[in-house]
Amino acid sequence: MTSRKNTLLLSGLVVLILVAALLSMGIGPIFIGPDQIIRVIMGESSSLTFMIENYRLPRALLAILAGAGFAISGVILQGMIRNPLASPDVVGVTKGAGLFAVVVIILFPTASPLLLPIVAFLGALAVAIALIYFTRKSGAQPTTFALVGMGVGASCQALTEFIMVKYPMQANDSLVWLAGSLWGKGWDEIYALLPWLLVFIPISLALHRKLDIISLDEGSSTGLGLNVVRTRYMLLLLAVALAGACVAAIGSIGFVGLIAPHMARKLFGHQHRYLLPGAAVLGALILVIADALGRGLNPPIEIPAGIVTAVIGVPYFLYLVRQEKKK
Amino acid sequence: MRRTNGMKRLGHMLWTLALAGTVLLTGCGSAEQKQPAAGTDSAQTAQKRIVKHELGETEITGDPKRVVALEYSFVDGLWELGVTPVGIAQEKDKDVEGLIGKKIEYTPVGTRQQPSLEVISSLQPDLIIGDLNRHKDIYKDLQKIAPTIILKSRNSTYQENLSSFATIGEALNKQQEAEQRLIKHKEIIAEFKKKIPAGDSRNVMLGVFRADSLSAHGSKSFDGELLEMIGIKNAIQDAPEPTVKISLEQMVQWDPDVIFLAEADDALLNEWKQNPLWNNITAVKNQEVHKVNRDLWTRYRGLKSAERIVEEAVNLLYSKDK
Repeated sequence: MTSRKNTLLLSGLVVLILVAALLSMGIGPIFIGPDQIIRVIMGESSSLTFMIENYRLPRALLAILAGAGFAISGVILQGMIRNPLASPDVVGVTKGAGLFAVVVIILFPTASPLLLPIVAFLGALAVAIALIYFTRKSGAQPTTFALVGMGVGASCQALTEFIMVKYPMQANDSLVWLAGSLWGKGWDEIYALLPWLLVFIPISLALHRKLDIISLDEGSSTGLGLNVVRTRYMLLLLAVALAGACVAAIGSIGFVGLIAPHMARKLFGHQHRYLLPGAAVLGALILVIADALGRGLNPPIEIPAGIVTAVIGVPYFLYLVRQEKKK
Repeated sequence: MRRTNGMKRLGHMLWTLALAGTVLLTGCGSAEQKQPAAGTDSAQTAQKRIVKHELGETEITGDPKRVVALEYSFVDGLWELGVTPVGIAQEKDKDVEGLIGKKIEYTPVGTRQQPSLEVISSLQPDLIIGDLNRHKDIYKDLQKIAPTIILKSRNSTYQENLSSFATIGEALNKQQEAEQRLIKHKEIIAEFKKKIPAGDSRNVMLGVFRADSLSAHGSKSFDGELLEMIGIKNAIQDAPEPTVKISLEQMVQWDPDVIFLAEADDALLNEWKQNPLWNNITAVKNQEVHKVNRDLWTRYRGLKSAERIVEEAVNLLYSKDK
């Protein structure tokens, strides 16, 4: 019964996201009606073709992809750490990417733009390696993970800020990247991100049973025949690969990886079989809306999508905390 | 831009046809009518040219009329060469008016840091001028819209800004005008230099007050270098960066004889004024703390702005000697 309800709900959300993407493509300094967008996508040539093909369409697609990636990464981390507050930001993954990116932006301002995503991904990976190294002794305890992640994240943040204070003139350049924005992003980023997601999202979905088990307490997990430590590290690398690829593509957008899993849990319950795709669709929806808002609120000025997600995310998060307290 | 390309190609064809027609007609006509044909010949060689810039070479055809400028110094340069940009990246509406001294018609295309590609493309420009520091990441996107040149402005020296101006002249097919304007610029600067007495050894600190810090422009900054060139010594000679954040203690240590304040935020200045250290600075003792126009000194750069900065500095330092 619930499975049928969940399937229906999921298909409903998929339809919703298509509608949202279509509408969001119309929003910006120049408003375009949905009928016109459909005609252009179908191949009709008009004066708006260039804008839709080069900016609106790729940005909507990229928002869907990255939103889904961040959300799935968040679900995995929350499941394996057994902490609803875990997310790619909290365990330091995006902060590591941020530190590496800021080093390149500020200290090597003449570096090729192609270098930035690679370096950002390496930053995320470096944090993952640090996490594995420091949690090994404790047998990859969830709490150790959370604490080490926060510590590593805080160190990365401190170094990032140190560099920004040291070089105030160049600090501005890195702010857009640190906030996370789809401005100036397009097909290149989609082609760079897509392979990662095509590999790691199906793997994540296939591991839904393991995630169900590992979300239980340690004893039950072991009792059900799971090699807990190995599974946790595997899941961690999966989450980092997803978040790292997304951060590399559009910068460290926060809150999507935290909020989308929560919303999904409310709608779909705790079974990862539905939770994973549900969060992916919701994450995509949040980012599509955030990007459209950032573009349309005060044109021609672009508000980075990461700032919009934070503005939407913080109140929702406070509401969640209140709800949890009542329980 | 497929469509405009097509239109351009059509325009090209018509142009060639018309040219062929004229040649045929002149051929049939008398010999003295050959002159216009020769004229169009040189016009045609000027039509296509390769302009070298910071990120490579860009082919520019004809005389660009619809130009988008993504930095104020480029607006300055275009305006001096008689071209009003169709699109300008700006933070405040007053910025452009303050830069060129009058209100002009243009479309704002977003901030300099994040110009809106959509708005730029909707203007259908025939030339885009971007800044190396801010816009290298979107160079490929800008190129898709129109021929784009990337020049130095932000975090660049005075000399680099001058050479950017020369490149703008090349891109506009106005090399000669640009050269003449540069010669005139050097004359103007030289005139101001004459007004500075040789014996003056006062050093000057250029400071921008923010809410939480003072950034001082050293001898490697645009305005610092410019003033050094005409003989006004900068108080900060050995800074590694063009701009350094400094504390009141460091200010006292450097002990400038004159302070030019590009004041943005009162809070910090008022706080410092309460501090006895402030009154120990030579500039404060000698009442040589002058307010200057922040936008002009720190944000505009460019040719005309440089002339205005020098004028303001010389007036502030020497007007009472007259």
